[in-house]
Amino acid sequence: MTLDYTQQHLVKMANQIAGNVPSPEDVAGQIADHVTRFWTPAMRSDLGRIGREEPGVLASEVHAALAVLEADGTGR
Amino acid sequence: MNKPIEFDPAELDLGTPATLATETVTVLIDGTEVVVPAGTSVMRAASLAGTQIPKLCATDRLDAFGSCRMCLVEIEGRRGTPASCTTPCEEGMSVRTQTPRLDKLRKGVMELYISDHPLDCLTCAANGDCELQDTAGAVGLRSVRYPEARANHLSAGTDSSNPYFSFDASKCIVCSRCVRACSEVQGTFALTIAGRGFESKVSPSEEDSFLDSECVSCGACVQACPTATLQEKRVIDLGVPTRKVKTTCAYCGVGCSFVAELRGDELVRMVPDKQGGANAGHSCVKGRFAWGYASHPDRVTRPMIRDSINDDWREVDWQEAIAFTADRFKAIQTEYGVDALGGITSSRCTNEEVYVVQKMVRAALGTNNVDTCARVCHSPTGYGLKQTFGTSAGTQDFASVEQSDVIMVIGANPTDAHPVFGSRMKKRLRQGAKLVVIDPRSIDLVRSPHVAASHHLQLQPGTNVAVLNALAHVVATEGYIDEDFVRERCDLASFNAWRRFIELPENSPEHLAEISGVSADLIRSAAATYAGGGNGAIYYGLGVTEHSQGSTMVMAMANLAMATGNIGRQGVGVNPLRGQNNVQGACDMGSFPHEFSGYRHVSDDSVREQFTALWGVGLREDPGMRIPNMLDAAVSGQFRGIYIQGEDIAQSDPNSHHVEEALKAMDCVVVQDLFLNETSRYAHVFLPGTSFLEKDGTFTNAERRINRVRPVVPPASGMAEWQVTCALSAAMGYPMDYGHASEIMDEIAALTPTFTGVSFDLLEARGSVQWPCNDAAPDGTPIMHEQRFVRGEGQFVTTPYVPTDERSTRKFPLLLTTGRILSQYNVGAQTRRTENTIWHAEDILDIHEADAELRGVGDGDWIEVSSRAGSTRMRARISGDIPAGVVYTTFHHPISGTNVITTDNSDWATNCPEYKVTAVEIRPASAAEAVPA
Ligand code: SF4
Ligand code: SF4
Ligand code: SF4
Ligand code: FES
Repeated sequence: MTLDYTQQHLVKMANQIAGNVPSPEDVAGQIADHVTRFWTPAMRSDLGRIGREEPGVLASEVHAALAVLEADGTGR
Repeated sequence: MNKPIEFDPAELDLGTPATLATETVTVLIDGTEVVVPAGTSVMRAASLAGTQIPKLCATDRLDAFGSCRMCLVEIEGRRGTPASCTTPCEEGMSVRTQTPRLDKLRKGVMELYISDHPLDCLTCAANGDCELQDTAGAVGLRSVRYPEARANHLSAGTDSSNPYFSFDASKCIVCSRCVRACSEVQGTFALTIAGRGFESKVSPSEEDSFLDSECVSCGACVQACPTATLQEKRVIDLGVPTRKVKTTCAYCGVGCSFVAELRGDELVRMVPDKQGGANAGHSCVKGRFAWGYASHPDRVTRPMIRDSINDDWREVDWQEAIAFTADRFKAIQTEYGVDALGGITSSRCTNEEVYVVQKMVRAALGTNNVDTCARVCHSPTGYGLKQTFGTSAGTQDFASVEQSDVIMVIGANPTDAHPVFGSRMKKRLRQGAKLVVIDPRSIDLVRSPHVAASHHLQLQPGTNVAVLNALAHVVATEGYIDEDFVRERCDLASFNAWRRFIELPENSPEHLAEISGVSADLIRSAAATYAGGGNGAIYYGLGVTEHSQGSTMVMAMANLAMATGNIGRQGVGVNPLRGQNNVQGACDMGSFPHEFSGYRHVSDDSVREQFTALWGVGLREDPGMRIPNMLDAAVSGQFRGIYIQGEDIAQSDPNSHHVEEALKAMDCVVVQDLFLNETSRYAHVFLPGTSFLEKDGTFTNAERRINRVRPVVPPASGMAEWQVTCALSAAMGYPMDYGHASEIMDEIAALTPTFTGVSFDLLEARGSVQWPCNDAAPDGTPIMHEQRFVRGEGQFVTTPYVPTDERSTRKFPLLLTTGRILSQYNVGAQTRRTENTIWHAEDILDIHEADAELRGVGDGDWIEVSSRAGSTRMRARISGDIPAGVVYTTFHHPISGTNVITTDNSDWATNCPEYKVTAVEIRPASAAEAVPA
């Protein structure tokens, strides 16, 4: 999968959120919460697809957040 | 509802300003008892009792001066005839304002003035609006005994250099009101009385012309002048106005109130309203004079459509334009689904106009894809203050600054971008408050007449959070925490986590000095000043928000204010200085894709139920796309149509090439605006908008003050903007029936807990009100979080410093930061169409001498500025205001295309673009031309 501009932007945004969430505790939960509150469902599901198909581009915390989203059914 | 305002007793000039004293004294004025606050002048007491004492040098906008000797009175038990403007009332004082002796004295004084004044009253521009004329009448002067051959000033010349007002020295009575207005009210000190005795005359600094002087054209002197000496050129050309309409300036977030004065239907001048809650009778050059764009020949007043952006525009009637748009929008919905459409609301439009656009998007288009141009300026304020305090707004009213002891200005330039508030702040600084400036540039406040910052933290662009953390580290480790405040008002668990974090050595000034470029000593001293100097207030601007850590920085400032107990009373607080007039209102009105009005998340079932019940339509529970997401989705083909209210995203949003690519990819771009602009080059529908002079509604300023905007002239296009939006909504199958803008506000009030008490009737009665205005606060709320925070307890948030990706590199070694100047406004669509261009005909790049020399760039040379996003050209100016390694420019002119070079980096939480840091390289343009593309 080659990432287009939009997907690259999503990756950048997600990694940036991972690097900036306020508390060092439960980073994955905070990222999941942030993208649930501020992203469209389509953006979240695109991120999930990128996580599966291009895992290397996403920070490990973002993968953990995707797992949280998947678990509570809001990831897609 | 919109009656012209006739005589308003509140407009009466009482001669001297009110005192703040709470004790009162009782005096007798011509036998009538009057009770006034202690310290009130005899002149003011007499005015309050209904007796106007003749005056020339006194006005209630300025401190008494006592130079003209016109206002003499007799006081029982006192010798002589003291000046009533400079004599304070004392308990039991008995004053006579009319006696034969006083009449004679006043006539004598007036005779002297008139003997040196051109007697051309009948042909004078101020005939009927001249205090000298009125006073001569009031004292009954009928003849002048002095021979005309006596030495006089009747042949003194006129200075017409200012584009908006002229100075006719022959009419000057040297009352010094202009000089005092310039120093006391505006704080510019551009005028002096040069010479002595008969030789004395008003003079702009260094005997320059007004244009070449320090004058910033605020108009305060013109307002203060009792004669036709300083006079608006339009009054000279058109004559004295005959009717008035009160309204609100549509430029910056100060939200100054004005009285629009007209002759028939022609606007003659805008005069700052003394009753204005935000401005108390002051103004800046933009609101006072730069409104001519509203009748500029470039205005588009008929709707236009075209099939493709390569076609010419075709003028059509409203019906056809609306039908064309609805057809295209419906076709998009059918083929690509409802989320292929969206809208952008404008911070330049009224609350009512914004509200109907977001309602149309949510209810008629069936999507939450609505965002506002505040995305690119203050979205981090919304996020950061909501997280920490519980609501997305500044904490104070503007008047609060008058009780601050230490003022911290971060990433803002109030004297240029928020001039009327800047003047108020300077007044407090002249009274002795301390000033800490955190900015890469040496803004005017750092050193200006009678004002100097005690600390200027000249940090590297992009290191705000590092500096705030270092300040907070000092507060936490050196005993400046207000433990009582924190214990009583804040969430302790979050405070303790923050304290552990902020005390880490990595947040110490010493550790962060190298990164930020600010010495540890300076940070320690600034922290001690802010935290230990009494009432500490923070004011900030886009230099805080437009960063990759904009939201973090807002929370860092909130932490600092809470930790030091600087919240919840007069003189303190955390205050965003909003760029556009209605940024606050546009955000309040539910313009963000994740929030309804009043900042309530779309996923909140109970909130959605209220809206559904009133709007009669199901609403989506997931957030929609933000502007950058819409543009990205457009490039990848999923987002096909947009309604853009009053914003030129192709010029104002970052990385213009990407924006243009996105706009080009859409099937239906609708622009609602005054002028064709960069964005409309890619539009299929152009819906003519209304200027602020045609609008009927409300704006909400940076202090949450809801001000009325009243129509001064009818809409040039025949339709109010909200009516156009409603027509489109109806054509999309969702009619919105409002008979008047006030009904839209009634609906806002019904659905928004912080607005329940707001109505046009209330605003008519009170002038303005600051939200929250509801049952709990029927008079509004000047100061927020007084007893408790809106969210209950104040929430501390840890704020680790994360450097931006945008760093200087070998290829792009300089950091570009952007700002604005006084005479221009944003992308300049309005101000460029006024005579303000005399002050700023082009955008210029400021560069440090060493950086210029290294690149062979001289002052005034054409240069090419390039970043990884693109390149543009402008002229360079060698400047000492910025440190080496940093360059600075404004973005007021499309030709300089500043956003061609800004990148798509943005705030991590809100996607607010990182305008304030772009790595660039500069080279002389001639050399650049020689380089193949
Ligand atoms: S216009 Fe304003 S700045 Fe200029 S001289 Fe008058 S008061 Fe001073
Ligand atoms: S210009 Fe006007 S305000 Fe100034 S000293 Fe002369 S008369 Fe007074
Ligand atoms: S300070 Fe702002 S609101 Fe006031 S007149 Fe100037 S531009 Fe208008
Ligand atoms: S008005 Fe009192 S001295 Fe001039």
